[in-house]
Amino acid sequence: MKGLLFNMKNKNINSLSTKIVLSISLLSVIIVLIIFAVFEKMNKEAFYNIELEKVGLIANTIEPLIALNIYLDMPGNVNQLVLQLMENQNILAVKVLKHNQTIHEAKSKKYEDELNDSFIVKKRIYQPNSKKSIGTLVIIYSSKNYQELIHKYTKLLAIMLLASSLLFLLFSLYVKKLLLPLRKIANSLKNYSPNKEIKIPFASENNEIGLISNALNEMQEKISQYSKEQENINIFLEEKVTEKTSELRNQLYTDSLTGLPNRLSLLQDLANLSDAALLIINIDDFKEINDFYGHIAGDSILVEFSKRLHLMFETDNNIKLNHLAGDEFTLLFIEKPSKESLIQTVQKLLYEIEKIVFYYDNNEFSIRVSIGGTYQIRRALEKADIALKSAKKEQKPFLMYDEKLNIEEQYKDNMEWVKKLKNGIEKDKIVPYFQPIFDNVSEKCVSYECLMRLIDDNGKVIGPNNFLYAAKKSRLYSKLTKIMIEKSCKHFEHVAYDFSINLSVEDILSNDITDCIKQTIKQYNVANKIVFEILESEGIENYEEISQFISEMKALGCRIAIDDFGSGYSNFEHLLKLNIDYIKIDGTLIKNLDKDTNAQKVVETIVDFAQRLNILTIAEFVHSRTVYEKVRNLKISRTQGFFLGEPQEATNRYL
Amino acid sequence: MKKIIILFFIFANIAYGYTYNEVLLKAQASIFPKIMLLDKKLNDKLIEGKIIYTVVYEKDDYNAASEVRKFIKDSHQARLDKYQYTVNLVEFSDFSHATKSSAIYVLNSNENIQKVAEIAKEKGIIAFAYDIENLKNGLLFSLMIEKSTILYVNKENLYSKKIDFVDSLLQMVRFIDKEHS
Repeated sequence: MKGLLFNMKNKNINSLSTKIVLSISLLSVIIVLIIFAVFEKMNKEAFYNIELEKVGLIANTIEPLIALNIYLDMPGNVNQLVLQLMENQNILAVKVLKHNQTIHEAKSKKYEDELNDSFIVKKRIYQPNSKKSIGTLVIIYSSKNYQELIHKYTKLLAIMLLASSLLFLLFSLYVKKLLLPLRKIANSLKNYSPNKEIKIPFASENNEIGLISNALNEMQEKISQYSKEQENINIFLEEKVTEKTSELRNQLYTDSLTGLPNRLSLLQDLANLSDAALLIINIDDFKEINDFYGHIAGDSILVEFSKRLHLMFETDNNIKLNHLAGDEFTLLFIEKPSKESLIQTVQKLLYEIEKIVFYYDNNEFSIRVSIGGTYQIRRALEKADIALKSAKKEQKPFLMYDEKLNIEEQYKDNMEWVKKLKNGIEKDKIVPYFQPIFDNVSEKCVSYECLMRLIDDNGKVIGPNNFLYAAKKSRLYSKLTKIMIEKSCKHFEHVAYDFSINLSVEDILSNDITDCIKQTIKQYNVANKIVFEILESEGIENYEEISQFISEMKALGCRIAIDDFGSGYSNFEHLLKLNIDYIKIDGTLIKNLDKDTNAQKVVETIVDFAQRLNILTIAEFVHSRTVYEKVRNLKISRTQGFFLGEPQEATNRYL
Repeated sequence: MKKIIILFFIFANIAYGYTYNEVLLKAQASIFPKIMLLDKKLNDKLIEGKIIYTVVYEKDDYNAASEVRKFIKDSHQARLDKYQYTVNLVEFSDFSHATKSSAIYVLNSNENIQKVAEIAKEKGIIAFAYDIENLKNGLLFSLMIEKSTILYVNKENLYSKKIDFVDSLLQMVRFIDKEHS
């Protein structure tokens, strides 16, 4: 009950009419109080000043006469003047001082009673016709008049305040009465709902309240009409949403091209299974079909292929066919088959696919597939994919995932190296090491080979064999080459030795790298010192491009060496045309040169061939004195190897 | 004996001039120089920067005039306010337009009062009278001691271009003229 009363009171306070009334009342009280305070202060001061001026006037009037009488030593006259002053009932006392000594003093009977609230006016007495002070006139003036005046005035103001307050109160009540219909309209609207018509009061009144009531009635009709329309729309939309949801659900789990369940559907199936086998089928070189005949042809083959696969396995409830993406399909064995059964299925599949001929736009297509499979349900898709990649790498039509392949570890290892390389590049830890090359006649160091090294966070020096594969896979390779070119050229700018840098065919084929080479050798003016070492085995397939690069470099003054000469199947005719300067004999021929007579014969042939063409020969991997002696006996021009000098970070050791 | 005493006083009066009230003389010696200082045009009346206060007397009143000079000097010491002053004693017979004076104080005389009053009026100097009756003969200021000290002014001679008293002085004096005494 108390809560209800409180709520009602609260609502009353929050109502617009109460707020208006309270605001007006508050404003009125503040205004009246301010006026009251200001008027009272002003008028009190004015009254006070009037009384003070009165006394001042009396003092000013009487002072010259008193001054004259004091001046003329006529005390009797002064006394008479003082007595005349005392006839004024408001003067309580008069005192005349001559040079600070009282010469006349008079007090009225009321002096003691009214002294506390009196004005005291002191007026200096000046000698007539002079500014010389000869005494003081003190008048004590009763404030009784002033007090009475103030009292009357305060009473008047209080009456005015009371009257104003009453007037404002009446006005407030009137405002409240005017706004009361709004409250009644609001109460009637509380029960409103779009389906229920209510009667809003005061609609017939010819004022703003009547206008509001009529407007609300019109609004009520429109809302009712709109509500009916909305209901119909809602029913229609609900049906559409149900329909579209169903469509989207299908689209989510279905491949739009082939109509087969998609990758998401496969992942969901895998998540719901505890044991299964999975095969990934990839169409070999499908990209070539797309590139050569166009995507429409590719899509047509994919659709046809999916239909054939579907036909092959539609009767087997244990196998579920999915289209992952592009040229990849999967076969999920819901119940794990035996190994033999699985292999049989794969063989049948491969056989059937080889027989299929696809037709598009008067063209015939046959396809081959690679298949990767796994027996393990945990991370089945990844494992089947790894097996597929291994199969492709090994150019086998089918491979099962095998933990012993350690492929995952290789992936991890590569990723680790990529991370280390990125860190090394960022922290400027990719550096060239310099291995000396000695002339076999003078036995002096004549040049250096620049070899790439990565310094890890522990300061360990790591050779490129560890990270070169990862670098090529992650596209960091070109960055590493650029760093090597920049740092090596910079180092040899002021070092009077020739130096060689290894270039892969990938580097030579990259315009970015060749531009970088041209710019850097120009920047450091090392064209006459630099030797580019190109791997023999890599260059054969891209002879034209390599030849062009060599011509450009030789035009700049650079020299060219063929690295690992003898490791591949070198075409001597091609080498002649390349106009090379050095042949670096393959390390596998050199390292056992002291014992391997076959190697000796091959090396002898190479040296003879080189000497005829005025090409210098360099023996790599010279690791012992006996090998070194053999190298010299075979008339190889220069020697490089741990026996004479390991790669170092500086070049000053042999200066 | 009684007749002898009366005759003595009559002859003495003839022989020794008029009779003067000493208290009145003292009061006038004190107040009249001060009233002179209330003239706003006093500076025009200075003679060689000094105030010359002339006591005009009959030959027989020399003693009274000397007394007056003594009283003035006793009352005002060496200066009158900021001014140096001299009190000159001049007999009625010697008083003329040539007599240098800032103000005159006139003792009693039977015949010469009018003459002195006219000279004073013409020269525009303030003329104080011992006897109030002499105001009727043209002198300007006099003083009586009644219940209190009362100043009298000859209303007819007051308005002179050469004399201008402070206003408050005029509020406390009593005016007399020939008709209303």
